[in-house]
Amino acid sequence: MPAALRAQLAEDFAPVRTLASPWRRALLVLPLALVALLAAPVYFDVRPGHARLGWLGVWGLSLAQFAIGFLMVVAAMRESVPGRSWSRRAIAAWSAVPIAAVTAITLWSWYASPIGIRAGWWTLAGMCFAGSAATALPVVALSAILSARAYPTRPAIAGALLGAGSGLCADAGWRVFCHFSEPAHVLSAHLAAVLCSAAIGALAAVCVSRPGTRVR
Amino acid sequence: MADDQRLRDLMREYQSGRFDAFDDIYASLAPTLRRYLLPQARDAVKADDLVQETFLQIHRARHTFDPAYPLLPWAVAIARHVWLMDRRNQSRRPWAPDDVTEIELPVRAEAAVLAERDAVRRALGQIAPARRAAVIQHHVLGFSFREIASRTRIAETAAKLRSSRGIAELRAILKGQGSK
Repeated sequence: MPAALRAQLAEDFAPVRTLASPWRRALLVLPLALVALLAAPVYFDVRPGHARLGWLGVWGLSLAQFAIGFLMVVAAMRESVPGRSWSRRAIAAWSAVPIAAVTAITLWSWYASPIGIRAGWWTLAGMCFAGSAATALPVVALSAILSARAYPTRPAIAGALLGAGSGLCADAGWRVFCHFSEPAHVLSAHLAAVLCSAAIGALAAVCVSRPGTRVR
Repeated sequence: MADDQRLRDLMREYQSGRFDAFDDIYASLAPTLRRYLLPQARDAVKADDLVQETFLQIHRARHTFDPAYPLLPWAVAIARHVWLMDRRNQSRRPWAPDDVTEIELPVRAEAAVLAERDAVRRALGQIAPARRAAVIQHHVLGFSFREIASRTRIAETAAKLRSSRGIAELRAILKGQGSK
């Protein structure tokens, strides 16, 4: 080893603790993600059509969406470790997951309890978009910091995955509160909030992972 | 397979605080990483610089290595990242002029006996572009290593390394010219 390099390494050499597995790191996000899930239904209320949807239709599907979101956060934590990046096919599959999950849950909810918006479509869409995206922000921030503690060689991809996962977790709670099951509303406002979280996650991960700002 | 296990064990020792383990890791990985980086960089000196930068990053990211997995894919992923970052930085901002004949070199009076201004310019033109840029930015333009590192998005230690190697190369060239 060249002497100059050796001297540079010796400057800040110290024993280190090995990074925990992606699952264990994602578990650190879980409490905050659960808060995001419960925030809207606890603070506001449960949707009025809950009797027709039943417990499984309201909470069961939301928990399924939450589980998918959490899995995406785990996938992001794995993506952040060098040499353990996902293949292009896997990334494409992970990208399709939030869209497929929200679409399937929306269509099922509409089929079981069709409640459309009669007035103020844009106002309600704006409220659901902003509420869902804002609820996801703390989860995105924590996940981005945990992701940067690894060494993401593709921070934008890791960030998009963790952002979409956090968005799904938060929107799972917002879905329990949202009064409407109209697909046009859910697939625009709610899905857009998830995609917005993915974009914010990508941006946050790139910023946090910049040389010099990398979290150690 | 046995070699991979040995490398994992060495990396585990390095993680737990045995600094000398890195000498063996360097000896085992450097040729492979250089073989990987040489076709990407298309320049032997540049490839050497990238190998050094890769080892600096391996050191920084040592906590992310999981001994349950092979070391080589982890190290190659970091090398690829280093190369991509370097390529992106170069394409975004050319960070030192290639035409060194235009540079106003502040050669001190006492240094003039050692080398003529033109000789220094010519020698500068012969050293590797990345090292030349670091030398010019630090010794001619007066940027600190921290500033160079932030402008070029490399580690401060890498900037120091490039500059010191550039100076060593410059000195060797000038020495060679002087003895002729």
